[in-house]
Amino acid sequence: MATSMRGLTQFIADIRGARVRDLEEKRINKEMANIRKKFKDGNLDGYQKKKYVAKIIFTYILGYKVDVGHMEAVNLISSSKYSEKQIGYLAVTLLMHENSDFLRLVVNSIRKDLDGNNEIDNCLALHAIANVGGSEMAEALAEDVHRLLISPTSQTFVKKKAALTLLRLYRKHPDVIPATEWALRIVSIMDDPDLGVVICVTSLVMALAQDNLDAYAVCYTKAVDRLNRLVIEHEYAATYAYYKVPSPWLQVKLLRLLQYYPPSEDPSIRSVLHQVLQTIMNNSAESSRNVQHNNAQHAVLFEAIGLAIHLDTASPLVGTAAVLLARFISSKETNVRYLGLDTMAHLAARAESLEPIKRHQSTIILSLRDKDISVRRRALDLLYSMCDVDNSELIVGELLRYLKVADYALREEMVLKIAILTENAAGDHVGDEVWYRVVQIVTNTEDLQEYAAKVIFEHLKAPSTHESLVKVGGYILGEYGHLIANEPGYSPMEQFQVLHTKSQFCVASTRSLLLSTYIKWVNVFPEIKPQLLNIFERYRHVLDAELQQRACEFYALASRPDDDELLQNVCEEMPPFPPRVSALLGRLNMKHGDTEDKRTWIHGGKEANLDRDAIKRKAEGNSAVAGQLGNQDIMGSLAGLEISPSSPEVASLSPELPSFQPASDKAPRLTTGPNVDRWFDKLTYTAEGVLYEDDQLQIGVKSRYQGHLGQLAVYIGNKVSAPLTSFTTTIHISDPDALSVTFAKMPPSIVGPRTQTQQLLHVECKKMFSTPPILSVSYLAGSHQTIALRLPIVITKFFEHVKLGQADFFERWKLIGGPPREDQAIFPIDLNSAGQLDLAKHKQVVSGHRLNLLDDIDPNPNNLVAAGVLHMSVEGKVGCLLRLEPNREAKLCRLTLRSTSETVATEVRKLVQQPLKAES
Amino acid sequence: MIHAVLIFNTSGVARLTKFYTPLHQSSQTLVQKIFSLIHSRPAGLCNFLDAPELEAFLGPKDEVGERWQVVYRNYATLYFVFIVDGAESELGILDLIQVLVECLDRAFENVCELDLVFHFDEVHHILAEIIQGGLVLETNVEEIDASGM
Repeated sequence: MATSMRGLTQFIADIRGARVRDLEEKRINKEMANIRKKFKDGNLDGYQKKKYVAKIIFTYILGYKVDVGHMEAVNLISSSKYSEKQIGYLAVTLLMHENSDFLRLVVNSIRKDLDGNNEIDNCLALHAIANVGGSEMAEALAEDVHRLLISPTSQTFVKKKAALTLLRLYRKHPDVIPATEWALRIVSIMDDPDLGVVICVTSLVMALAQDNLDAYAVCYTKAVDRLNRLVIEHEYAATYAYYKVPSPWLQVKLLRLLQYYPPSEDPSIRSVLHQVLQTIMNNSAESSRNVQHNNAQHAVLFEAIGLAIHLDTASPLVGTAAVLLARFISSKETNVRYLGLDTMAHLAARAESLEPIKRHQSTIILSLRDKDISVRRRALDLLYSMCDVDNSELIVGELLRYLKVADYALREEMVLKIAILTENAAGDHVGDEVWYRVVQIVTNTEDLQEYAAKVIFEHLKAPSTHESLVKVGGYILGEYGHLIANEPGYSPMEQFQVLHTKSQFCVASTRSLLLSTYIKWVNVFPEIKPQLLNIFERYRHVLDAELQQRACEFYALASRPDDDELLQNVCEEMPPFPPRVSALLGRLNMKHGDTEDKRTWIHGGKEANLDRDAIKRKAEGNSAVAGQLGNQDIMGSLAGLEISPSSPEVASLSPELPSFQPASDKAPRLTTGPNVDRWFDKLTYTAEGVLYEDDQLQIGVKSRYQGHLGQLAVYIGNKVSAPLTSFTTTIHISDPDALSVTFAKMPPSIVGPRTQTQQLLHVECKKMFSTPPILSVSYLAGSHQTIALRLPIVITKFFEHVKLGQADFFERWKLIGGPPREDQAIFPIDLNSAGQLDLAKHKQVVSGHRLNLLDDIDPNPNNLVAAGVLHMSVEGKVGCLLRLEPNREAKLCRLTLRSTSETVATEVRKLVQQPLKAES
Repeated sequence: MIHAVLIFNTSGVARLTKFYTPLHQSSQTLVQKIFSLIHSRPAGLCNFLDAPELEAFLGPKDEVGERWQVVYRNYATLYFVFIVDGAESELGILDLIQVLVECLDRAFENVCELDLVFHFDEVHHILAEIIQGGLVLETNVEEIDASGM
């Protein structure tokens, strides 16, 4: 510690005593020279090294460059004395960065501290990696860090640091972290009883989940559950309340995490989340006098509003939020005004209707004149996002008025935004993208062409014009000037004169564009051809090579006979530009690095956000495409307009986007065991029984069905004398359009020792399905366990009895006819212990599959005939007939199914056959 | 993410600088830049500041709406300044500054500027218990106090 090093204290005091900067520098140089000498002489003991390194650190903190002591710091790290080790680590984290060569020398010492039994050393090592670790450290140490994170013996303070360290390594080198494989284990730590651990691991999960949404999907439930416990149940350690608000940081993080996922379909999760958000909004009604309390509460509130907007912009919650925001933007507190405008911009960027925001338009416009530039910026963003057809004139007008007095720092951004809003402006500070965009829009919008030509012409008449305007004018009049040429005041000659008087003030690139305009005019305005030829003729002798070449080519082209097809073809009107990302939006939405948390929304209207989402989804399929879109050459978006070669079409560059993984690939791997299949098969034709059992766990099922609906109760018993923590149950359905299975309420996250938990599932059959849903159960009991089981929800569960007489039955049987609507199989069967057909079992299986056994239809009493109707909420009803013909002598059985739907016949045949067929 | 934590006094002298992102330019220039931005702001303005000027130091922010943000708070003769990106809640950072100050206050009993000068190593250790690698590690003052040796 600094106090115990007298030399260091003296050094600091000396520097503080230095009256002027020169003296300070002198003192430091003297000290550094001394230290350099000492290091060179060598033979220093640990204390001396520590003292000198501490002085170097102090010097560095003062802002001086230091170039000594790295080696000594590296040595100190491997010291056995804590105080020396600590200074060594401090020096490494302050003096070095991830690319320092010296770091290679410390990797081994760090690994030693990481693997040692001393937890303080573990922490020092973790902290160092988290601060300076790069991809090399990631490769060498990721496994060790992960081990410390998940080890049941790790103390909470080690776990916290390990979580954030792993996050750092993931950011630096994602490839070394098997993110999917570790997903469930990492997410399970979100249930840790220590909120400090939860904060850290949530940060880690947030980063991993952004890149692996599906693998980390369980974290959604965990986050909602935790919010529920914090906000509604008030279940947290008192020390984690910050000015009476339960850990605002954790709440904010969880609320943000949820914004990376699409809204949950699960009704129980939705309702809990709704309650949480509602409560947060209600809490904010009671404003307190304590600044910190207000801050913390607002921090949570603004994030909650963000999430509410993300979930459903039309919900009553967002209605409440809009009222709150309206109050905030005229608050006396600047921070609240600032955040109010920021959040309102989020709302404007997502909302279906801008009406609730427009009501406060005048307040927002007034905010452009707030005394704080930070607030003015947010007001600008908001006005940009809320601008639509109705208010664009007003808003653009206000912005233009404000532009004159705006801070210099704001102008460029303002102009860009004004340009996008009007898509017609050309003023100072306007880059090329703006006029490209204008041209692009005019070309693609036929209604606009005549109007644009007139407006541009009027603007060009002004004595001083911006170069960009001349370019736009040249292009537009060249293409569409003929549309207005018959109107008084817009004759070809007048167009020519207006444009050409500007030419002399323009740079070469603009002039060459004007030459292109002229050659187009040669085609459509024969009356001014002599004047145009004259100009080409003059430009043939200019020094600029590009201009000269154009002039020569155009001169030759224009000198050809009038009826020449070549000229007409060359000067054909431009086809509309292919739909592509606007250059302006491209510049605004440039690709974002992978190494940071992504934004969940951008400024601009709803469409902008939808576009962005679409691009993002594409990018997820193929990151190369993202690069293409992001860095797309602005010229590329205007193929054919300029001299540069048009960039190849973006679409053709992107290989077929891999379609989303087939659902079966994402399904969890099923748990196997001697009895697992037998338990399942039995439950396909019975309503209750055991689904799974091992040393720790027993899972039972009870079910009830009616029509296309059903209820399934899953009983999970903990057989051991320790609690199962981080208990997680999820359902995986391969075709959610065909079958829905949802929890009636959020499952608990802990199962006490020797107790049982019951979870009720709601089941709905919408369409024909053949893959049963999979129940995944995972928990911590020492190590992390996962069990994945098929739930006995099969198509026959949705059969209802139908009563048929003999005549009816055969009529339908014949009507359906043979294949393909018949499915038949012959398979071996077991006889009972008496060597007879097990008729009781046959009956049990067939009726267990909810088919109605029909007596007196088949003359052979051993044969079974049955009928049923399948109920589906989307695909409706499907009838199904069954005939089972066992043969004792051959130990064979023939099973025939006929149904109006082929797939139903096949599936039912398989289901009925499975428990009947011989076991060997 | 938190990219930097700076503490400097009302004359612009840095008392603590901690960067979680490598700098493109000298840290002293950065401190001066931020000091000039903040010091000129009269009291009563908000605690947040967009700082496109920082792109020269910390690299460009490409995506729209994404910006370098300065969140700061003034206590007596000291400015506590955090440089963050859009992933952080502005008010959350303000709260975090308060936590840092409360922790320093416990460690030094009525912390003053001199404590930060003479016990710079300890200040760094306390900070390390709150923020690690640019992310919030712990916010519980008791817990930080206990682990701060």
